[in-house]
Amino acid sequence: MLSACYSGGGPKRSVDFSAGPAMLAGAPAVSFDVARVGGGSDSLAAHRGSIVLMNFWATWCPPCKEEMPALEQLYRQYRGRGLVVLGIDQGESAATAGAFARAHGVTFPILVDEDQQYASSYVSIGLPTTVIVGRDGHVVRGIDGAQTLAQFRAAVGPLLAAK
Amino acid sequence: MSPRVTALALALLAIGLTVAQDLVPARDWYHGWQYIALLALAIIVMIGYAWGARDGSDGVAGRRLALAMAGAIATATAGLLSGLIGPDTVTVVGTPGTVTPVPDLGVAAFFAPADPTSLAHGDPTVTLRKPGEGPLEIGTQPTPVGLSVIFTQMRPAAYVVAHDAHGNRLTVTQPNNPSFLSPVLLFRQQQQIRDKNFPMDTFATPAANRIARVLYFSAADLAAFRHGLPGAANAAGAVLSIADDAGNSRGLTIAASGLPVTVADLNLTITLGTYPVLVIASAPQPVVMIGGIVLFVLACAWAAFARPKGAALSEPLLTARDSPAH
Repeated sequence: MLSACYSGGGPKRSVDFSAGPAMLAGAPAVSFDVARVGGGSDSLAAHRGSIVLMNFWATWCPPCKEEMPALEQLYRQYRGRGLVVLGIDQGESAATAGAFARAHGVTFPILVDEDQQYASSYVSIGLPTTVIVGRDGHVVRGIDGAQTLAQFRAAVGPLLAAK
Repeated sequence: MSPRVTALALALLAIGLTVAQDLVPARDWYHGWQYIALLALAIIVMIGYAWGARDGSDGVAGRRLALAMAGAIATATAGLLSGLIGPDTVTVVGTPGTVTPVPDLGVAAFFAPADPTSLAHGDPTVTLRKPGEGPLEIGTQPTPVGLSVIFTQMRPAAYVVAHDAHGNRLTVTQPNNPSFLSPVLLFRQQQQIRDKNFPMDTFATPAANRIARVLYFSAADLAAFRHGLPGAANAAGAVLSIADDAGNSRGLTIAASGLPVTVADLNLTITLGTYPVLVIASAPQPVVMIGGIVLFVLACAWAAFARPKGAALSEPLLTARDSPAH
């Protein structure tokens, strides 16, 4: 994921663990309580037992906008089968994220992570980042970059099929 | 100076040099030729003395001191090998709230989440986790782990909160850093000004098309540059240089920790503090080092009570003849 060497102390060498969100597969998924557009708060932990697709995004991010319709379709298609989709806005206010969601017809829950805890903890190396969490609360996949509806289906379909 | 005194002095020196790797770890000097040469010289002298003393040429005490020398040689060899072939010092900089693998130790390091309050407080703890073992909390005190000593060092850090001119919260990114979406700056780079290096980092606010370069100035640095911070005397500050996406400079200001400043259409609050990095340094093999010291101490004590044949009193470990004045 990272690292660097500072001056001072012993001979140095660089350590670079640049792997991005993909390296989190199998790790316990961390959760933070954050505000939810429309009122109240929400978190990953509140959906334990479901397949959860977290999408980290921001209103200024063009690929995030392009990906939104596919996420919305995925949500509408699979929510009846137990898929939870959480759009987690990174670093913006609830008003900004809410206005964007309304303008783009987003109906899945939008969370507002002003302190960018989710994206930094899940080693996002860009936006959008998608993290799929299994029913057991462990990360199944971390995906960097925008996905198509077909790619989303391919990622969550087998998980929803497995009981 | 007699061979016995020389050997004992070098034994103590070698033990001290070796133990120093645990007590004051991660120094360049342990991997330098002077350190290696000193330990090698001490080992050679100790072997020479022990070889001669084992047949009784230095009395009963000398024969027992040969055993002490064996202990000191073991300890010194552990120190020499650590300095000579031990792994280089590694500094692991972890993004707050993440788990960073540390392949050198076969562990994962958990760097605690950070917020303005925790940065200002400066918690030095990093938690190590190894499969099948309980968590090990590492602080600023060196902790031996295998053939390494691990400790944390506090480094400058800053928490950035950005709003646009309308008061909308802005996403903070770090395009040049692995912690791309963390609002915590860890100052991984340095910038030289007037022969002094200052911690430096950058962040961006993509929604406002701004890129900021941040220099960390301690209170002493600010005083040296004759800059006081209104409302925050004797405090550290951040020098902010803001540019737009095209690289055009849009403003320069100094921000006091925790106090908002407005520059280049941005309202920024930079909370300065510290955040730990994990330092992993080589260390002498602990069993050999400690075993050698125990053997040295016990054998010296045994030698101090050595009684030559026909002597009524114990033979002194050091005699007047051994005094440096003689």
